[in-house]
Amino acid sequence: MVNGYPLLTILVFLPLAGALFLIPVWKRPEWLRRLALGAGVVELALAGWLTVRWQAFQQAPGAPAGFLLWEDLPWIEGFGIRYTVGMDGISLLMVILTAFITVIALAVSWRGIRERVALHYLLILVMESGIMGVFLSLDLILFYLFWEVMLVPMFLLIGIWGHGRRIYSAVKFFLYTMFGSLLMLLAIIGVYLVHGSETGSYTFALPALVNTRIAPDLAGWLFAAFLLAFAIKVPLFPLHTWLPDAHTDAPTAGSVLLAGLLLKTGAYGIIRFGYPLFPQAAASFAPLLTVLAVVGIIYGSWVAYAQTDMKRLVAYSSVGHMGFVALGIAAWTPVSLSGSVLQMVNHGVTTGALFALVGMLDERAETREIAAFGGLWGKIPLFSAFFLLFSMASAGLPGLNNFAGEFIILAGSFRVSPLAVVLAFIGIILPLVYTVRLVQQLLFVTERQPLALADISLREGGVLAVLALAAIYLGVHPAPVLDLLKVPVGLLTGTP
Amino acid sequence: MLGAYLPIIVLVVVAAMFGLVSVTMSSLIGPKKPSALKLSPYESGCEPVGTARERFSVKFYLIAMLFILFDIEAVFLYPWAVVFKSFINAGAGAFIFGEMLVFIVILFVGYIYVWKKGALEWE
Amino acid sequence: METLAMPAINFAAIMPETILSAVAMALLLVNVFVRSEQKAYLGYLSLIGILVTFFPIVAGWNAPVELQSGFNGAVLQDNFSLFFKGIFLVSAALSILISDQYMQREGCNHGELYPLILLATAGMMLMASGTDLMVIFLGLELLSVALYVLAGFNRDKLKSNEAGLKYFLLGAFSTGFLLYGMALTFGATGTTKIAGIAAYVAANPMITGNQMFLVGMLLMGVGFSFKIAAAPFHMWTPDVYEGAPTPMTAFMSVGPKAAGFAAFLRVFMIALPAYKPEWSALLWVLAVLTMTVGNITALFQQDIKRMLAYSSIAHAGYVLVGFVAGNAVGTAGIMFYMLSYAFMNIGAFAIILLVGRKGEPNNNVADYAGFGFKHPLLGLAMSIFLFSLAGIPPAAGFIGKFYIFSGAIQAGYIWLAIIGVLNSAASVYYYLRVMVFMYMKDPVEEFDWLKVTPAHALCLLVAVAGVLIPGIVPGYLLELAQKAVFF
Repeated sequence: MVNGYPLLTILVFLPLAGALFLIPVWKRPEWLRRLALGAGVVELALAGWLTVRWQAFQQAPGAPAGFLLWEDLPWIEGFGIRYTVGMDGISLLMVILTAFITVIALAVSWRGIRERVALHYLLILVMESGIMGVFLSLDLILFYLFWEVMLVPMFLLIGIWGHGRRIYSAVKFFLYTMFGSLLMLLAIIGVYLVHGSETGSYTFALPALVNTRIAPDLAGWLFAAFLLAFAIKVPLFPLHTWLPDAHTDAPTAGSVLLAGLLLKTGAYGIIRFGYPLFPQAAASFAPLLTVLAVVGIIYGSWVAYAQTDMKRLVAYSSVGHMGFVALGIAAWTPVSLSGSVLQMVNHGVTTGALFALVGMLDERAETREIAAFGGLWGKIPLFSAFFLLFSMASAGLPGLNNFAGEFIILAGSFRVSPLAVVLAFIGIILPLVYTVRLVQQLLFVTERQPLALADISLREGGVLAVLALAAIYLGVHPAPVLDLLKVPVGLLTGTP
Repeated sequence: MLGAYLPIIVLVVVAAMFGLVSVTMSSLIGPKKPSALKLSPYESGCEPVGTARERFSVKFYLIAMLFILFDIEAVFLYPWAVVFKSFINAGAGAFIFGEMLVFIVILFVGYIYVWKKGALEWE
Repeated sequence: METLAMPAINFAAIMPETILSAVAMALLLVNVFVRSEQKAYLGYLSLIGILVTFFPIVAGWNAPVELQSGFNGAVLQDNFSLFFKGIFLVSAALSILISDQYMQREGCNHGELYPLILLATAGMMLMASGTDLMVIFLGLELLSVALYVLAGFNRDKLKSNEAGLKYFLLGAFSTGFLLYGMALTFGATGTTKIAGIAAYVAANPMITGNQMFLVGMLLMGVGFSFKIAAAPFHMWTPDVYEGAPTPMTAFMSVGPKAAGFAAFLRVFMIALPAYKPEWSALLWVLAVLTMTVGNITALFQQDIKRMLAYSSIAHAGYVLVGFVAGNAVGTAGIMFYMLSYAFMNIGAFAIILLVGRKGEPNNNVADYAGFGFKHPLLGLAMSIFLFSLAGIPPAAGFIGKFYIFSGAIQAGYIWLAIIGVLNSAASVYYYLRVMVFMYMKDPVEEFDWLKVTPAHALCLLVAVAGVLIPGIVPGYLLELAQKAVFF
């Protein structure tokens, strides 16, 4: 609460309220777009205001250390389930990212969505509420609730407005996530019961549960269940197969949201819930996590190289990039963890931008085959410039955002697992290979078939410019972000 | 012990005797003027020979079912009547009488339903 | 002449049953005396009867035990049975609300429908509050006989006839099992009172060596399993659910199942608490089989009524998980689950009913193509019911599953909970399939025949509220369910 205003609750439910406002004008696409974008911008403004004011906030009374904002209300008392939302530096970053990427997603679907416009924007806003809830809730059941709530809109987004095998991809996405999250639900109940029988107070509150002493065997199983749910979302190597399908077949806004936000919820879940709840088990799982992360980095990049569909290429590159995030989490040092969180933001920005770019190209040419294009540099220079910028960012060019994140992760993890870092270094080189090839094929070789393409519009240019600013800023000057992370990461890793 | 069964034994004997005596007596002293119709197994007019798979009108079944329903339910009246006196002695006569009235009302509702529904009409 | 001791009769203990039966009989007469082709007024009258019946149920909550028990302890209207009676009334009321439209459309608008529903409800209530095997049996027969007729109510349609006949044959068969089990148990213990059996078992530990008793208990379990449609005693369910008139399918899939569970729970929990490890091991197998068979078979159904039939088998499996857990949490979970199941399942059937039209039931999943966009509100309602059935928050189905699985984990049945959760993940697929057709396929039909009557709208509204409100703020209902646990 800030001055008596439940800011976090407003943050969570504002998009939902905005979604409700869309219903009365559901037959007027122009109004819908503006209203939805308005809601997104208001949310972003609120998140931005919080960021600016962040240093001025004091530790919230009754909240665990590091949480400057904190709201706690009874909800289902019979079970000890409470409505608890709290915000520390990590949550703040994720919230800002969510608000930002959602605005981007709302803006990029301006022209592409012509049918069922109302439902499209409504779902995006509902999903924003769900994601905000995931990043803010500190009660395990509340978390689970939001975790599932954000699933349904994405399922519908892919299934209704997607391309290709959209239904297959939507169902696959839903089933994968559902499978993991149900096992996590069991693990949640397990932690709850262990804690309850040990202390006599039955609660789902994360701050209380982190101090539970759990028998190592049991803790291993419970952590495995949590990890499975989150690893599917991240996605870690053998569990990633839903991702290329979902990304490729989703509409542009869906891809942006999926890459920009939904993948982050998995990594965030490991950081916020997985490790703190089961530190010992997590430590014993760390080698496995490291191996999977490295395999993901190399495999994702390798497969990305073989893709002919641009969207699929970007999707596989996501597997690689998220592998870095997982690597940093597995090492669990202050530096590597900060790097992971930073990289989550970076990946959201760059990959979101790349999906937006590919979406724009798809809107114009109605194909995403790399082989269909060529010589775009001469034809649509503005588009090409942005494309080059974000490709280079994605490939980890120093001075741009991904480089900063990946470098910090590798530096932080080196002490813990040098071999893994050496291998992951290959994962920094490989993206360069496929990105350079992509850029060359798309922008520079001679035109293969005559395509009448218009350069980006003012709206698209605005969206991309904002993303570009973010990418450059994060690459050149990530210090403010790292400052935000110092306290929470210190608390998480036990090195304040 | 066995004495308790004496009335039953007497009943069985009397019943058997009744059958035996009447059959023997009628064959001994009755006049005998046989005709084809009289020698048929059923004198009531039913054809004794024919297909066994004859179809009856479904109305037979309906009437039979209704008959059994009401008949069996009426049987409940007998044990009730037998113990009614002892309930009067227990001071619950009015209550038990009321209970039986409720039972009969329920039967009656069923009867009226069946009647108004036309289940008792042959045509 | 000897004097008889008057049994302790307490009509308050069977007040809800009495009211329902009286209303049913009155409606039977009204139906034959009023010469009207319209039968909706009977539905409204029976709704009034149901509303009136709520009063003794609410008033009886937490009543002292001497007011709850009646007929020399043959009936006990405790909180447990009151909660179940509430479920029965809800399911009866919701089914009645959607009946008239269907019956008119399909040309089987006979007024007897409503009295039969009320009598079946009275039978369920007797089952829930019976503490004597004979009373439970009486309730079961009252329920079953009415349901046989209801299943075959559309007598001009072959499928409905088939449903009625199948239900009758298998129902009679299962009743035989149950009654035989009761008889053997009576033979072994000398009493039909559940509490008496419990006392006898406690006093004679050697009874576990008595095969008559064991077989008796086993047969009773089989009989109840038929009624709740647990695998491998579930074979009748799909055919009966598919063929019966849709409002009656909705009714049958909820009320009788809850009644079966109420009696099943009461008999086993009270009569055989000491041998819980033995019978819960059997139930463990039953639960796993039921969930798995129900879900796997549902995956392959094209007919949505059959799919929901198999899904209802699976749901019986989840509820059995709570039964196996056998603790307070599991039992309260069963009650909460059955109540939310009443709302979500009847709600789903209400939509199915609307999509069909005379002669064209439109029961294939493919018939739902584009439905969500042609009728956004109905589509939304259907989505809510399906998500609740799949156990996705914030719907009541999630809280129910959460509750039941918590009970199982607390009782140490970790593997059972895991199997349950895996099943529930598999079940998501077939619920999603309906969503996929509703929202992701282009419409084939215009759905212009579809007409939502006020009664129907009321049913849907109540069902949606009944799914969402306990899903978001379950506190009050959870408390009621916890207070309703009888041990």
